[in-house]
Amino acid sequence: MHRLALALLAAALVSLAGTPAFAHFDGADWYTHAACPASADNRIDPINVVFTGWGTWGRAESQVESHEGWTAPSGSTQSFGEHGSCSPLHTQRASGNGSRFHVRLRGQHPDATLGWTAMAAAHHEDLVLFPLACGHAVDANGPAGSGFDQGRDELERRFTSAGHSSDRVWWGNTQSFKQCDGDYAGSDGWTVFIQLHQVNH
Amino acid sequence: MFRARATVTASLAALGLGLVVSVSAGGGQSPADTRGLGPLYNAGDRVDGLPLAAVLRREGTAEFVSFVYGDCVAADDAGCAPPAEIQIWPACRRSLGLYRGATDRGALVEPISLRGVPAFLFEDGTRLELETGSSTVVVFAGTRGRVLRIAAALRTLDETVSPGVPLPKPVRAEGGDALDC
Repeated sequence: MHRLALALLAAALVSLAGTPAFAHFDGADWYTHAACPASADNRIDPINVVFTGWGTWGRAESQVESHEGWTAPSGSTQSFGEHGSCSPLHTQRASGNGSRFHVRLRGQHPDATLGWTAMAAAHHEDLVLFPLACGHAVDANGPAGSGFDQGRDELERRFTSAGHSSDRVWWGNTQSFKQCDGDYAGSDGWTVFIQLHQVNH
Repeated sequence: MFRARATVTASLAALGLGLVVSVSAGGGQSPADTRGLGPLYNAGDRVDGLPLAAVLRREGTAEFVSFVYGDCVAADDAGCAPPAEIQIWPACRRSLGLYRGATDRGALVEPISLRGVPAFLFEDGTRLELETGSSTVVVFAGTRGRVLRIAAALRTLDETVSPGVPLPKPVRAEGGDALDC
């Protein structure tokens, strides 16, 4: 009887407290970071894709593999900031090891409106070997967008072709990032929200 | 893959204020046309101890001229953020009104007034956007203090607007929205 009363009291407290304060999508940090703590000085890539609905990082990873065929797990670790904290990525997938598409992912808490969410930083990058063998460099800004825009557009195109709904939100995270070949690349400021199914492919 | 290559021809005239900048889109093309962007603003040849390092012209999915201050060291698979950057956009392509959708999705925006014009701070004050004339000026830097110091130093390249003075009021369409392009 005593246990029942305690359980009822706990349920009442949870009810009164409502949804936990962290249960919302935090879109306040719109870049990945070289390390934690996250700061403006150690930004690396713009976040340009958010998976929603059943957008856990595991589902996002699975469906990126399925829709894009990006199965290579290679790439350096980067960190994401959310809710005032900073944590390493959960996973990453690339279309190969040379010039390639590449996306880094980190899941977030579920959101009352958006459902489960995962933030993603996508891009196309060249493997630069000449004149300076510096490695992977995101494609510079150009008429078709930067490598960041191309990575986002590729995900949007393949996912929507497969029946996922999407829409774009202006985040304005257009800061330019110097690449190892000396060029600069930046997002055009638009982030695409892609809804995921519960069932993996 | 297209690789934009900006060239900066920065010659300092008397008092170090006569910065002449030519911007090209690379590939041997002629200097890019900056008409439609309104007056170009920057913070001179040096601001907050940072030299002007690059001028970038972006057209297509985004439309701006960028002044990059200071340098950073990029690595394989990891670009880097220059210490400061000023982007000048036509207000018809970028305005504060664009954030209406973003604030519904978790964006944190801090409205302020700066040099007599409306402005928003984002990302803990490390990004500032202000509307002046037919342009939107965006400042990126590592700290709120540096962002505000750069904002105070903004001037037009043609010297019609000096650092610290009030900026021209934004030109808007009827109803308060940004002008069409």
